[in-house]
Amino acid sequence: MSSDTPRSTARISGHPIHPMLVPFPIVCFVGTLVTDLVYAVTADMQWANFSAWQLTVGLIVSVFAAIAGLIDALGDPRILRLRPAWIHGLGNLLALALAVVNLLVHSRDAYTSVVPQGLLLSLLVVLILLVTGWNGWDLVYRSGVGLDREERP
Amino acid sequence: MSSSSRQAILAAAATVALAACGGPAPGAPHRQVGPNPYLPDIHQYLMPPMKVARIVGWSGGRTPIVAPGLRIQALARDFRAPRSLYVLPNGDILVVESDGPPAPVRRPKEFVMNWVEKKAHSAGKAGNRIVLLRDANGDGVPELRTVFLDHLDHPFGVVLVGSDLYVANTSSVVRYPYQTGDTKITAPGVKLTDLPGGPIDHHWTKSLTASPDGTKLYAGVGSNSNITENGIGAELDRAQIWEIDRASGAHRPFATGLRNPNGLTFEPTTHQLWTVVNERDELGPDLVPDYLTSVKDGGFYGWPYSYWGQHLDPRVRPRRPDLVARAITPDYGLSSHVAPLGLVFYTGATLPPQYRGGAFVGEHGSWNRSQLNGYKVVYVPFAGGRPNGMAQDVVTGFVTPDGKAYGRPVGVAVDARGALLIADDAGNVVWRVTAAGG
Repeated sequence: MSSDTPRSTARISGHPIHPMLVPFPIVCFVGTLVTDLVYAVTADMQWANFSAWQLTVGLIVSVFAAIAGLIDALGDPRILRLRPAWIHGLGNLLALALAVVNLLVHSRDAYTSVVPQGLLLSLLVVLILLVTGWNGWDLVYRSGVGLDREERP
Repeated sequence: MSSSSRQAILAAAATVALAACGGPAPGAPHRQVGPNPYLPDIHQYLMPPMKVARIVGWSGGRTPIVAPGLRIQALARDFRAPRSLYVLPNGDILVVESDGPPAPVRRPKEFVMNWVEKKAHSAGKAGNRIVLLRDANGDGVPELRTVFLDHLDHPFGVVLVGSDLYVANTSSVVRYPYQTGDTKITAPGVKLTDLPGGPIDHHWTKSLTASPDGTKLYAGVGSNSNITENGIGAELDRAQIWEIDRASGAHRPFATGLRNPNGLTFEPTTHQLWTVVNERDELGPDLVPDYLTSVKDGGFYGWPYSYWGQHLDPRVRPRRPDLVARAITPDYGLSSHVAPLGLVFYTGATLPPQYRGGAFVGEHGSWNRSQLNGYKVVYVPFAGGRPNGMAQDVVTGFVTPDGKAYGRPVGVAVDARGALLIADDAGNVVWRVTAAGG
């Protein structure tokens, strides 16, 4: 059985790039929620600054993750026939857009850079990531997207 | 993917795109000039407008435009960022060439801000020195131009008391010996006191004046942020006017809550201290009005907790209702984001009569308002030691029709012949305004 599951197109010697990149934005955006909460409680600017940097790094890496994911999605027509692929892709696009707005909110000065809109957006992004992450796992663990099952000598 | 959820996503994207631009349209600045400026609702941006006038410089004999009855000429050109002016008793003019220390990057936003703000200044490096001009015959053409004091630390304020010349660097007040007629100081200075300087040093210009009896100095120490975004700890001893004892160097806060006070000077008839203050940004194109105010001993003027009296700033935590309750409302609004940095009361007798007794204010000009504001010198009439009437444009024409700038006015002074002097730190010119035909 060589290719009965959908292939990953963006890969390096058989290793799909997308799952290598997504931990960065996931950790950054979850971290943003944590440091936003700490700022909301302490009003100590270092936590708001921490959030702004995490958002920035998360957004930069997520662009590359999205490109790799899009190449995979378009590279094998079977992927787009999977419902979780749409939820995963469009959901993450929404999360990305909200994170961009969140970065703008976080570029304000002092308290209102976080409370309330920044905090709310950070929470929304994490909630969306839970759904899109769940569907992403479906793609790999249930539908086997990107699995390398070629038999080796 | 259902079409309804697709539409929902498109709608969300459109909302995001709409929210990212815009904000309220700027209102007419004149509604914010005077003792009771119009104060609109707060608008907090997603993307604050950053519109700085790109500097093109003066060329081909072009000059700023003066009000009828006045004439303007360049007193001298080719400076390196002339920021403030001081006229010595013998008529010699000190031109302080200075720029700010490099701004640190503590947040992603500051990458962008530092880059945009660079455009608003002339390309060359500032002198960080004081140049002396001597125009003994008063014809508007200096016979002598020397480097008076070199290798200074971002200097701004200068004041002479007797034979002691004080220079306010960004991080210290230094005293130098001066004798009438000196054209160069070589003696090492003696530090009178440290001032709050780096490592952030957001508002770095330290304005300086002396009490009429000469016993005290007053130094304007601006805040270390727009609105405490560098932490309240960074604001220690800042957003204040310091009163410094000339004998001991000891200081106390004379007045507090002044975000960025400049142009410190005593009103000549009442001997009361006045200042122009740069107020906070990013609450909208018409908030908060910069202002001209008398300064009360022990007075608190709101920053950071409130503006224009008791108007709360939502961005500051923890709040201080005890301070807000006693926040003083400033005397006279100059409209928002004009960036007043120079102030001088006119005590001369050679300009037309309507300019006697009031104050000239140098407005460096806005950088975060979609329609430029400021970029001119205005005159605020006074009666009985208080502002009396609408500010009038005196020197304009710093901005090109397409929103670039030939130069930007900063410090103002009155020379020995009663002419108004204007430091133009972007055009690198010192302008001299006299009566037409005078």
